Amino acid sequence: MTSRQTGRRIASISAERRRRKSGMRSVSRPAAGRREDHPRPGERRQLLQLVICSGIFVLLVAAKLVLPEPMVRVNARLYRAMEQNMDVQAVFSALGRAISGENGLDQTADEVYQAVFHPQENDEAVQTAAQITAAQAEGAIQLLQEYRRDTSLPQEQAGQEQQAADTAEPQATEVSTLAYVLYSNQNLPEGVSLEQAILDFDYCTPVSGALSSGFGYRDHPIEGEERFHYGVDLAADTGTEVDCFADGTVTAVGESSSYGRYCMVAHEGGYSTLYAHCSRITASSGSAVRRGEKIAEVGETGIATGPHLHFELQKDGVYLNPIYYVSVL
Amino acid sequence: MSLCCEETFRISPGFCLLTAWFAAVNGWCLTVVVLGAAAVHELGHWAVLKALGARTLGLRIGVLGAVLAVDSRGLSYGQELAAVLAGPAANLLSAAVLAGVGMETAAGAHIVLGIFNLLPIRPLDGGRALYLGTSWLLGPAAGEATARWTGAVTAVVLAAGLGWLMIRSGGSLWLLPAAVGALAAAGRECFEK
Repeated sequence: MTSRQTGRRIASISAERRRRKSGMRSVSRPAAGRREDHPRPGERRQLLQLVICSGIFVLLVAAKLVLPEPMVRVNARLYRAMEQNMDVQAVFSALGRAISGENGLDQTADEVYQAVFHPQENDEAVQTAAQITAAQAEGAIQLLQEYRRDTSLPQEQAGQEQQAADTAEPQATEVSTLAYVLYSNQNLPEGVSLEQAILDFDYCTPVSGALSSGFGYRDHPIEGEERFHYGVDLAADTGTEVDCFADGTVTAVGESSSYGRYCMVAHEGGYSTLYAHCSRITASSGSAVRRGEKIAEVGETGIATGPHLHFELQKDGVYLNPIYYVSVL
Repeated sequence: MSLCCEETFRISPGFCLLTAWFAAVNGWCLTVVVLGAAAVHELGHWAVLKALGARTLGLRIGVLGAVLAVDSRGLSYGQELAAVLAGPAANLLSAAVLAGVGMETAAGAHIVLGIFNLLPIRPLDGGRALYLGTSWLLGPAAGEATARWTGAVTAVVLAAGLGWLMIRSGGSLWLLPAAVGALAAAGRECFEK
């Protein structure tokens, strides 16, 4: 609105200038001359706004042309910052509970802060990782105890063992399900490791969504039989942006009957990631991609029961559990 | 009512866009709740103005909120103060009632709107009320100075606080417009005659 007015003003100024130039010889209108010498404050401000806006525009274009790499990074950071949406509803209900006397002031402030900034996202990832490792450690100890009991118990303690077995019955079944969830190393298929590798590079979660299926054995949702699941499924709406896990090079873009539209990205240190069931792959094969850059959109192509991203992580061809490196909702 | 005919009622395209965006992000339910809170606020102003016999000239709804154009020539400081405070008061009353009924989200929306409008920064009701109150007690010059400096200081502190929160929590740019708006208000108070 203002820029249009400014544009009109500039047009009229230049028109007046033209008129004045020709008017030098003939008759100059005094009103036009006075207005040009002393533009009104409002007009001066509009001109100033226009100059500042075009200055910013020129500066940004120049920055993009001269420093393309840092600009991409700045863009990505800006985008991530803008993506963090605040939960207006949560803010309102926290305040509402405060007036109705349900919550104290401290709790309200805490809830409002959480709703505005979502600071729990990072903490949550760490917490889930910690919980998983804790559960695994506990399970492993139980497995070891079970193993020792089975093998090293001498014959003469058979009576005692019988007694112990009665009490240990529920525990044993529990351990067996735990072992099932834990996939002790004997049960693992070829080329799978449960170790949590330390990545030497920065990485990010490709899609923020709920974990609809984890890494490991599961009943296949369509085939019905038990299969090993080599990645994690992150549920998200079709069209949700899939961000590249880390800097790297797109090594393959393709479509398969099971994976649907997928793409693979190679990262440094022999790591590679796979993004499957996408509705669309936006990165092209062979191109260099950066962490957080959009490479695809979530879909349900291939064998899928709903829109989600199937995300796999490999190191030198060995499948790793990606859950340690992504934060899920 | 005959009033309806002489009133001008304008809604800016920016407001429609903002509403559409808010509805797209937060859902229609919340949009209706927030618009309802805004309507209660303006109704509070309007009811008191009507009771005092002032003529409302129109309602302009823009991106930054609704502005009730009033012919306030016939009003004393006290009367105008009552009209200005009626909006936030209506919100706070509704908040109490809604919280009592158990509609917490709506109550929260009302209290946010009410308290935000009570900030002593000039385009908001709080700033106007501060000006009117001090003018009433100490004269217009003192009122102008008080409103100007209180507004500027509050706005700068608010902007700094929001900026600090944004940096500390490392994200959420949605507070940036509020911080920029507060700084703009401070600048207007400091530099504009």
